Amino acid sequence: MTMREAGPVGGLRKLLFGVATFAAALVIAACGGDGGIEGGGEETEVPVAEAEGQPSGQLKIANWPFYIDRKTVPEFERETGIKVTYVEEVNDNNDFLAKVQPQLERGESGGRDIMIVTDWMAKRMYDLGYLQHFDEEAVAPAKENLVPQLANPAFDPERQYSLPWQSGMTGLVVNKAEAPDVTSINDLFDPKYKGKVEMLNEMRDTVPLVMMADGIRPEEATEEDWMNAIEKIREAAESGQIRKFTGNDYTRDLANGDAVAVIGWSGDAVQLQADNPNIEFVMPDEGCTLWSDNMVIPIGAPNPTAAYEWMNYVYDPENQAQIANYNYYFTPVKGTKEVLERMGSDAAESELVFPTEEFTANCSTQDEPPGGPEVVRRVEQAWQDVITGA
Amino acid sequence: MSTVRRRLAPYLLMGPGLVWLILFFVVPLYFMGRLALESGTLATGFEFTWEFSNFTDSFDRFDEQFLRSFVYAGVATVIALLIAYPLAYAIAFRGGRWKNALLLAVVAPFFTTYLIRTIAWTTILSDDSLVVDVLQAVGILGEEGRLLATPTAVIAGLVYNFLPFMVLPIYASLERVDVRLIEAAKDLYASSREAFWRVTLPLSMPGVVAGTLLTFIPAAGDYINAFFLGSINQSMIGNRIQSLYLLELDYPTAAALSFILMAAILAVVVIYIRFAGAEALMGEEAEQRA
Repeated sequence: MTMREAGPVGGLRKLLFGVATFAAALVIAACGGDGGIEGGGEETEVPVAEAEGQPSGQLKIANWPFYIDRKTVPEFERETGIKVTYVEEVNDNNDFLAKVQPQLERGESGGRDIMIVTDWMAKRMYDLGYLQHFDEEAVAPAKENLVPQLANPAFDPERQYSLPWQSGMTGLVVNKAEAPDVTSINDLFDPKYKGKVEMLNEMRDTVPLVMMADGIRPEEATEEDWMNAIEKIREAAESGQIRKFTGNDYTRDLANGDAVAVIGWSGDAVQLQADNPNIEFVMPDEGCTLWSDNMVIPIGAPNPTAAYEWMNYVYDPENQAQIANYNYYFTPVKGTKEVLERMGSDAAESELVFPTEEFTANCSTQDEPPGGPEVVRRVEQAWQDVITGA
Repeated sequence: MSTVRRRLAPYLLMGPGLVWLILFFVVPLYFMGRLALESGTLATGFEFTWEFSNFTDSFDRFDEQFLRSFVYAGVATVIALLIAYPLAYAIAFRGGRWKNALLLAVVAPFFTTYLIRTIAWTTILSDDSLVVDVLQAVGILGEEGRLLATPTAVIAGLVYNFLPFMVLPIYASLERVDVRLIEAAKDLYASSREAFWRVTLPLSMPGVVAGTLLTFIPAAGDYINAFFLGSINQSMIGNRIQSLYLLELDYPTAAALSFILMAAILAVVVIYIRFAGAEALMGEEAEQRA
């Protein structure tokens, strides 16, 4: 017995050793000696994505789901001869950054020519050195049609690297039959609505509104203001006043009757209204936050020339009308209203698609907490602790 | 030559399995372990610095979720066992020609994806739903009572989603029980109850142990049920790992937390198996070898 076992056991040890060495070699080869994931952050000149010659070839666009009608892409292809790969791969800004970051870190865009991200994420990517400046000459026709309300945002005052795809307002979405007197963010903290209130899990949507309700302008807020607002939300969540923090799924809870007043997005309210006329977007007394999802050109984009062709195409009011008529967000293109009126579309009448200056007078853009990445990280961590209940 | 070949044969036969384990278990584990010891942020880059504080910090920060995950998973496992055992017993011994149809009925709901089924429950249990109305009418739920966003809903969701993993192994081991042994017990003047406790149940223990493990382990790491059926006051450790990886982009803490979860589950399982006995899990073979 013992004799027979001696061989294999010794052999096994050797074999395991061999295997371990092999695995170690594999691992070292795979990570190339340096450690894991690394971010950018060095100060370098931002390159310009130059347009060259006639637009042609391939164009890859990464956008959010349900953000375009079915006709625009094929019509663009027919008109320009450019072949478009339109990918609906952005579901969440942070999530998307996590996905593309390793490629961008190597200076590759994964074939993407245009990506669509929210203001603060566009800024963050820009600061990480992942985006290119626009070729001003090539993008001029589109920029000429940009509505003045969106032309000079704080994060990119000259629109050097970002151009809105669609914009929207974050405010109150209310079931008028159940909660007729909700007009301010503070009403969400009214015990009358305990357990029937929801807020968005995107920090930059929810927290600035709560600060505004306490009389603090988000542009001037300090780290402490952010933390106080987060603390106020935490207390409401732990007491059961706030039922849940949601993404787009608050629409389902409003439709089910699980929620009667929520912080939500203007475009969703219009779509919910179709099923339940009692549900509407309410501009909070203290104002709303205005945001845009922006087209940006990543570093390593293979075909910027075609990207500009696309931007100019969707900034033509005739083409934009088709998109606006589909998704009912605040359209960034001048002259779209006239086209929609001619088409006889209800969108032309909507205060949410074409907000007047008075309607958005108190609204602020979505800002980052002040003081650089370390503060942002602390505030984000505090926020995540609230919405996931640590 | 032939002796060399005979000696090598077992390793060659183990080869594919070993390569699989190394590629898909050891290598990812190594990378995760390395990530768990890095420090930094996405903006400044992550660096490998033997940052052991990732482990201690994340345990301090999330101890509440850890505890909650294990309590929910434990309660869900016990309830699932109480439902699954009689069910499996009925199918195995009383199923007759309906056996296969009944088994299919257990499995059929699971042809629909996990996510859709859980979301469906949010509609069934919503505040204005029939279920809540009835429970309020009979006084089980108070006037303002609700089901969604409560621990009850989360645990019920866990039980529902993992029930087949409990039923099938128990059924498989009950099915193998030799009925003549039960008859013999009765011939020796055991009552039906005694025969069950002393013959049927011990023989079905491998199924019970396998079923409880297959339910408890995924339930402890689950985040879908807590996400859809709970609120922040019911969040589990899986929710935190998910948000750390995908929303906060704090990979080192997320990796450290995953490791702690893995270790904690392993510890619970080891204690459980020692307590229940390895024979119970492996069945007769382990018993014979011992």
